[in-house]
Amino acid sequence: MDEAVVIGVDTGGTFTDVVFYHRGRWHILKVPSTPERPHEAVIRGIKESGRTPLKVIHGSTVATNTLIERKGARVALITNRGLEDVIEIGRQNRERLYDLSYRRQPPLVPANLRFGVNCRIDRNGNVVEDLDESEIRKLIAELEGEEFDVVSVSFLFSFLNDEHEKRVKKAVEGFFGVDVHCSSDILPEFREFERTSTVVVNSYVAPKMKSYLGRLSQAFGEARLKVMQSNGGIISVKKAVKEPVRTILSGPAGGVTAALYIGEAIGDTKLITLDMGGTSTDVSLIDGSPLMSTELKVTGLPIKVPMIEIHTIGAGGGSIARVDEGGVLKVGPESAGADPGPVCYGRGEALTVTDANLFLGRLLPHYFLGGAMRLYPERVEPYMVRLADELGMDPYQTAEGIITVANSSMEKAIRAVSVEKGYDPEEFSLFVFGGAASLHAAALSEAMKIKRVIIPLNPGVLSAVGMVVADCVKDYTLTVMLGEDELDRLDGFFSEMEKKALEEMREEGFEDARIFVERYVDVRYAGQSYELSIPYGSDVRNRFAKAHEELYGYSMDKEIEVVNLRVRAVGLVDKPPLSPIPEGGQSPPSDAFLGKGRLYFSGSWYDADVYKREALLAGNSISGPSIVVEYSSTVFVPPGFAVAVDGFGNLIMERG
Amino acid sequence: MYDPVRLEVFRNLFSSVAEEMGMVLTRCAFSPNIKERRDLSCALFDEKGELVAQAAHIPVHLGSMPFAVKSALSRFDFEPGDMVVFNDPYLGGTHLPDVTVIAPVFWEGKLCFFVANRAHHADIGGMSPGSMPLSESIYQEGLIIPPVKLVKRGKLDEEIFDFILSNVRVPEEREGDFSAQIGANRRGILRLTEVIERYGIDAVRDYAAFLQDYAEKSARQFIKRMPAGEYYFEDFLDNDGLTEKAVKIAVRVKVEDGHLVFDFSPSDDEVEGPLNAVRTITISCVLYVLKCILPDYVPANAGIFRCVDVVTRRGSVVDARKPKAVSAGNVETSQRIVDVCLGALSFALDFVPAASQGTMNNVCIGGVESPFVYYETIGGGMGASRYGDGESAIHSHMTNTMNTPVEALEFAYPFRVVRYEVRRGSGGGGRRKGGDGIVREYLFLEDAEVTVVSERRRFAPYGLFGGSPGARGLNLLVRDGKEEVLPSKCRVKVKRGDRLRIETPGGGGYGAE
Repeated sequence: MDEAVVIGVDTGGTFTDVVFYHRGRWHILKVPSTPERPHEAVIRGIKESGRTPLKVIHGSTVATNTLIERKGARVALITNRGLEDVIEIGRQNRERLYDLSYRRQPPLVPANLRFGVNCRIDRNGNVVEDLDESEIRKLIAELEGEEFDVVSVSFLFSFLNDEHEKRVKKAVEGFFGVDVHCSSDILPEFREFERTSTVVVNSYVAPKMKSYLGRLSQAFGEARLKVMQSNGGIISVKKAVKEPVRTILSGPAGGVTAALYIGEAIGDTKLITLDMGGTSTDVSLIDGSPLMSTELKVTGLPIKVPMIEIHTIGAGGGSIARVDEGGVLKVGPESAGADPGPVCYGRGEALTVTDANLFLGRLLPHYFLGGAMRLYPERVEPYMVRLADELGMDPYQTAEGIITVANSSMEKAIRAVSVEKGYDPEEFSLFVFGGAASLHAAALSEAMKIKRVIIPLNPGVLSAVGMVVADCVKDYTLTVMLGEDELDRLDGFFSEMEKKALEEMREEGFEDARIFVERYVDVRYAGQSYELSIPYGSDVRNRFAKAHEELYGYSMDKEIEVVNLRVRAVGLVDKPPLSPIPEGGQSPPSDAFLGKGRLYFSGSWYDADVYKREALLAGNSISGPSIVVEYSSTVFVPPGFAVAVDGFGNLIMERG
Repeated sequence: MYDPVRLEVFRNLFSSVAEEMGMVLTRCAFSPNIKERRDLSCALFDEKGELVAQAAHIPVHLGSMPFAVKSALSRFDFEPGDMVVFNDPYLGGTHLPDVTVIAPVFWEGKLCFFVANRAHHADIGGMSPGSMPLSESIYQEGLIIPPVKLVKRGKLDEEIFDFILSNVRVPEEREGDFSAQIGANRRGILRLTEVIERYGIDAVRDYAAFLQDYAEKSARQFIKRMPAGEYYFEDFLDNDGLTEKAVKIAVRVKVEDGHLVFDFSPSDDEVEGPLNAVRTITISCVLYVLKCILPDYVPANAGIFRCVDVVTRRGSVVDARKPKAVSAGNVETSQRIVDVCLGALSFALDFVPAASQGTMNNVCIGGVESPFVYYETIGGGMGASRYGDGESAIHSHMTNTMNTPVEALEFAYPFRVVRYEVRRGSGGGGRRKGGDGIVREYLFLEDAEVTVVSERRRFAPYGLFGGSPGARGLNLLVRDGKEEVLPSKCRVKVKRGDRLRIETPGGGGYGAE
């Protein structure tokens, strides 16, 4: 029997990726996903790897898909009487200002499953209306008349005093034997709509997640199984079953985690990551660690647990190009998807970004997915000519135009995670993965004045790699709302939070020496509404002023207020190293050279060399115009750019 | 002629600048109106003061901002680093609490663009906290700020600032709001300058102009497809805030070849109370209506205006003259102007919905024992259309402000929200049902002074093509267990333990059942 290995698994829409590191080498396997029964592909993939899993670390799409498809559990919500509709009303605004027929997404809990209870806690955590036993009896009687699978409880100010939530939980759990989630456990933070939304999403996805992880636990043993969270850290099955809302962006978080891991190995941890797929592109920023956010919405629902800030836009390889009535070229957000797919897939009728790349000779049909998928480049031309006629342009200019417009939406996403957050993209490298990103990387880096593009080895399975190299991370939060004169109380609160964090980390199996705890405070000027999260230290005031200055361009001579405390506990995991590739000279070896191609760039045709990435050696250098192909992606090196292969097989593209 | 690729690229660039300004403003502001409810707008203008791009914020601001910029432009020679502040409704403002800060953008010593933002301050002085009083003249409504240079060549004019802050309640908060507005403009200038560095001033200037041409061209194409004709619609405001007289708002919409005329001449004369709208508000409403009916890709900029004439009669309620009171024209009359415009267009376009709640349900609470000012607006039902039921419990038309979370409000002020519910059954019936309104009930923990400015308590939101009207709104004071119905506009002193319940109107139904 082989030695046991740590296996990373990422479930995608089409493929389930399995990776592991063994004897100095990363191994990769793709098996078809089984969307109806996702555990089957995972079990099969691991079986096909032929290895005994020491650990299986898993990026689960179960929670995400349950939410996207709205196929979750029947949730009953218990809240204060008079506030049962808070999750329906939301913030009372409309997402599309000029839409006369605007409808919002219906809430996850219908009105008949929302129950109000008479009880109230005030802003100081004092009970101003107690929860009577008779109220609880009445509630139980009402619940008996309805069918539900799981229960959420969310009362006002429960983050200051959870007594009422806990009493309801005990009573309902005891009577009905169902799982009950309290908002004070899942997210002890103020703002009732967002907190309630978060706990409701948790309940909504929990039963499916529980049965899914149950099946995997049966196959591999619960102790061996770990789950990736949206914050880039892993947790035990036990925790993931209780708080599945933390795994909503599990897969994309894996990609960002892997980017940081590779960045650390090559000494560059200031990265803007760009993952461009068929229908959308995910952008995030790493400045030593990934930028986090607690303000993300998934399918229109706010989820306030800390997640890696991933900005998603509807522009990808499959985005459709068209001319609007004013005569302007538009690209996306409509996508041709995988079926019918782009015109060059054989059946599509709408031109996409992929078609434009193909038409310009930047994407080579015989190397697409290693030649496994046939493309029909001849289909593209008539469509491109028609679109060009509509625009009054030349077909090749039109194809370049499609790429320019797609790039301009991606630029907007890059700006959203960088300049808008006070980061200068010039100080960062662009780290690209996903099938289509490396076709656009050079142009994007130029536009954002980014000096360096990093294209990792195996860009198609990066998320799965991220699972294997992730640490165990747990985030804790607490709303305290303290003024500047009360800052001396913070240490007491932090100690309590850290005690819990340490206990839970030990339960995850970490020795104290491998546990690190970080403290953060969310601070604002008293009277503002948005907080900045900063590392906690004795000089909170100065740190906050500096952060405010950096982000908004000024600071003020006003009282500050500490809104939330955050504790992040990290349990360090042993990570396998990146494997070095064999060294070669400056010129690529002859078996890497696949031939010549003609490509169009910036109004002219060029002869370009075509290389096979798998055959490149460390130290090789390629100047543009050229194309580097590999199984799941293609790198376009425009004239004026050059690519160097580093010791780990990453391609580093720069101007020059 | 423009390049159809670059046009899209520049559209993305300009809108990024405006959106980023909005981000800075919301996150740094102190007024709940700005920070929690997003009652603000940010936009870019060319050197003539024409609107180039706007972030999708509050509709009522955006149509009127170009007038504000032009007002400032006609008064000053600008220098780099200057910022002009102003709020005078008669010079391109809306109502006094909406304060605008305008900054020129220079390139190589030449003025080439403006950035501007407008935000609703929680108070700007005047006879009642929140500066939304039941007033008889604008002088009672607060401090009138004509265009003045608050920042000169990058330096804040402390004397002017002090003068402004001396005239408002809770000056520390206003200081924070002004800082946020100045910060937002600085960010806008920085970003726009980067765009100019990258593409060159000529291209940026050209595409700012091309985007307007493009908006005009695509708007005209749409208008050409509308059935030509004249369409008339009228509706009423409950009263003018001081007397019980109903106020007629009426419009005649003429659709000609690629051109629209909105003629409001048949509307009533200006009124005694604060329900007067200045002409710029009426224009904003028309721009909003156009933006709703035009396809999504038509950008909201000055180009749209070239296809439209807005006719108003000087001295009418939709084109009031100084010193008429205007505090509620911006929030209430604007809604009715939209109602009549859409009502008239419902004869020409089949996707126009029935009336939405037609009010913003303004509630202003001022401290008596402790000094505080709190202002909010409450959503209601949206009108149904042939495509579906109207949405419930949501802001419609000329506002889109968010609510203040109950916990945020209770952390800051001495009252509680005891009910915040969908007002079930308040939407009008029909083949498609109107959306339901909201019930919001406050419990006061201290004595306070409350001003309510609301509409549709007397004339219900209309249904269309056989659909029933939405339920009218209701304002109630609950004291010692007794309910007292309050007028649609009122100022009341409330005592500790009193409750105020606002039930907002439903939307109109569409089609006979």
